[in-house]
Amino acid sequence: MITRRKFLKALGLLSATAAGVSAKTSRAEPTEYYDWSKHYYSFVVDSTKCIGCGRCVRACKLENEVPLEPFFFRTWVERYIWLKGEEEPYVDSPNGGFEGFPVIYDEKAIRKSYFVPKLCNQCDRPPCVQVCPVGATYKTEDGVVLVDEKYCIGCRYCIQACPYGARYLYPFNGPRKSRRGTADKCTWCYHRITKGLKPACVEACPVGARKFGDLKDPNDEIHKLLDENRISVLKPEQGTKPKVFYIGIDTEVR
Amino acid sequence: MRKIHIRVAMVYITAAILFLIIRSFVVPPTFGEYDWYRGDSVREIMELPPQHANATVCKDCHSERYDLWSGGAHSTVSCESCHGPSYSHTKDPIIVSANVDNSREFCGLCHAQNPSRPADFPQIDMDTHGNGNLCVVCHNPHSPWVFGGE
Amino acid sequence: MSEILWEVLNHIEGFIYPNEVEVNWSVLIALYPYITGLVAGAFIVASLERVFKVEAVKPTYRLALLTALAFLLAAPLPLVAHLGHPERALEIMFTPHLTSAMAGFGFVYAWYLLIVLLLELGYDYRKDVVKWAQTATGFRGFLYRILTMGDYDISEETLKKDEKLVGIITVIGLPSAAFLHGYVGFIFGSVKANPWWSSPLMPIIFLFSAMVSGIALVLLIYMASTKLRGKEMDMECVDTLAGYLLYTYILDLGLEFMEIAHLLYTQEEGIDAILILINDKLFVSFIIIQIFFGTLIPITLLVLSKTGLFRAKVRKFFYISASLLTLIGVFAMRWNVVIGGQILSKTFRGYGYYIMPLFGPESLTLALAIMVLPFILLAIFVKLLPPWDEPPLWMKTERRYD
Repeated sequence: MITRRKFLKALGLLSATAAGVSAKTSRAEPTEYYDWSKHYYSFVVDSTKCIGCGRCVRACKLENEVPLEPFFFRTWVERYIWLKGEEEPYVDSPNGGFEGFPVIYDEKAIRKSYFVPKLCNQCDRPPCVQVCPVGATYKTEDGVVLVDEKYCIGCRYCIQACPYGARYLYPFNGPRKSRRGTADKCTWCYHRITKGLKPACVEACPVGARKFGDLKDPNDEIHKLLDENRISVLKPEQGTKPKVFYIGIDTEVR
Repeated sequence: MRKIHIRVAMVYITAAILFLIIRSFVVPPTFGEYDWYRGDSVREIMELPPQHANATVCKDCHSERYDLWSGGAHSTVSCESCHGPSYSHTKDPIIVSANVDNSREFCGLCHAQNPSRPADFPQIDMDTHGNGNLCVVCHNPHSPWVFGGE
Repeated sequence: MSEILWEVLNHIEGFIYPNEVEVNWSVLIALYPYITGLVAGAFIVASLERVFKVEAVKPTYRLALLTALAFLLAAPLPLVAHLGHPERALEIMFTPHLTSAMAGFGFVYAWYLLIVLLLELGYDYRKDVVKWAQTATGFRGFLYRILTMGDYDISEETLKKDEKLVGIITVIGLPSAAFLHGYVGFIFGSVKANPWWSSPLMPIIFLFSAMVSGIALVLLIYMASTKLRGKEMDMECVDTLAGYLLYTYILDLGLEFMEIAHLLYTQEEGIDAILILINDKLFVSFIIIQIFFGTLIPITLLVLSKTGLFRAKVRKFFYISASLLTLIGVFAMRWNVVIGGQILSKTFRGYGYYIMPLFGPESLTLALAIMVLPFILLAIFVKLLPPWDEPPLWMKTERRYD
């Protein structure tokens, strides 16, 4: 990081001298009212509580101007069903769970079944940030991966690099004009959490299956969840170090 | 040095300098403020307007409803889960979001019998429960074990 | 766009992540490594004569260089056309993010175009350009006079120096060409999220298939151009090129085999999904087109030509068929990597579906238009800078402009 920063500064200085513009000024935190060095966020999904109502998916789409078509999701809910006599689970996510989940198998035929909410894992080692050719996606100091919709060129390398399918290309008929043709993804509602609010999906969840917290705040209830439960992350073998922690999922969930 | 070498080199050096000059104008001023990205982008994202408020804000005006709701079994269900995003309503009460869907299907989103749901979560057989009446005929949605509806 | 996605929804099998319905890298992205591959391959043909002193392929030297240039100029088009914001394309050069394999594109491209190809062509053609500049009139004369850069010194001594310089540039160019294309392979090979892409062999597989396609293209263009000009084909040159095509083909096949063998033998997570991908989803484009028609048949034809049992006329037919099949087969390889990798869901539980629109952005028509462009460019280059050896180039134009 330091070497890259140095390189950048050298480049910047070079171009600055070439054009005679003054060197860039640097500030400690993005705004006066929020110091991002004092926060480090984390997300816990308690799969044992999720009822698959899809209110989170809806809240997310309304909060973040996500197109309503069933191909674009910042968060979605998957249903896992192990049928009796079958080893591999049946998985589905009709419209991302936006309209809930119709019953498709009789209870008697089912060995085990539950819902798994999915969202961006805000990886500590995000492959999407690594592959962005222009620096349009980045990890903030408080641990959230964001996309710069005014800088993204829409090459979609990040979409390919994400092992979790958390990114999509904002369509050209999407409601937010300035975001069209750029990569979009869950930001843990960065515009909310930096104001002290919870992400919209957490707000909307009626059963507390989604918990959001600040690891740098010792009184946050997230510590209790992380300490008292056996937790796992999705696709740990990818080496991405996800920051969304799951309670009560099998290894078949990926 | 031959004439051609010098001239070719000059063309290339001019192009390189031109590139650097254009670059210094085109790269956004806050690029590299923190790391390899546009610092302004963080602020732009932070400044996006929220859509969902929070039950504590609802309480300021709807305190009676709030008390009923917060004492009942639906106290974990945020107001906006059913009433829709209301941040703009809290800023300007004249803006009212669409009416709440009070159909059976809407309540069924959470309470219809579904084998994938946690067993201890209250679920009903949509075909038989309540004889097809609207749920709110019996249950008060703000506190479902208060009977007699709205 | 949305209508296509709704249609795709009907073809999805198993479970894929909801965001995977859209196949983000379209036919244009399959075209891009195809075109850069042809560039790298054509350049390597050119360097056969310069660096490895394979005198037999001399008639194709300049033709191969011009081919490389024509295709190199078209190479960024599919990329830029596919961007969500083409107007921001230059950001990749202004603020290249150094951890990204893709960020190198601008610089690798500029290096290869400006330092390698243009300089090599410039110094190689210098004598002819000076002669043409002294004789040609009108726009052509003007163009040649610019190209001389005001240096009309073509004494024996300077020409010898030029020759040496071109040799040096080619030596630099060879690893550059290999890097230009190997790096394209790395773009895919480094995506760990995708088991169909993620492989350290990817760059080198791309490189060898690039050489295969480049040799086939130059062979084909050479044969077509002699026919069009009504000249006698230099059979030794064609036989030699075909020989190199065969050798690279065998290496390419070996690498491809190693890759598949590794996938099948290690049986890592996702292997079941990959097996279905190969045996079902990509059966036609992978097994039939890429492997059978695109690799095994051309190799057979080339081996048959080597036996010495066939007359020149038959061999020509073999070469034309083998080259055409090669060009199709290598495109199928690009397609299978790019599209195949996206059909395979990262859930390993399902398969997406790719529908290529006939018209509009990222369509078949656009892909074809981009593919035709380098041939038009090549025709213009050949007209302006005739690459033929005989008769002495300037004499020919002198006659024309007298």
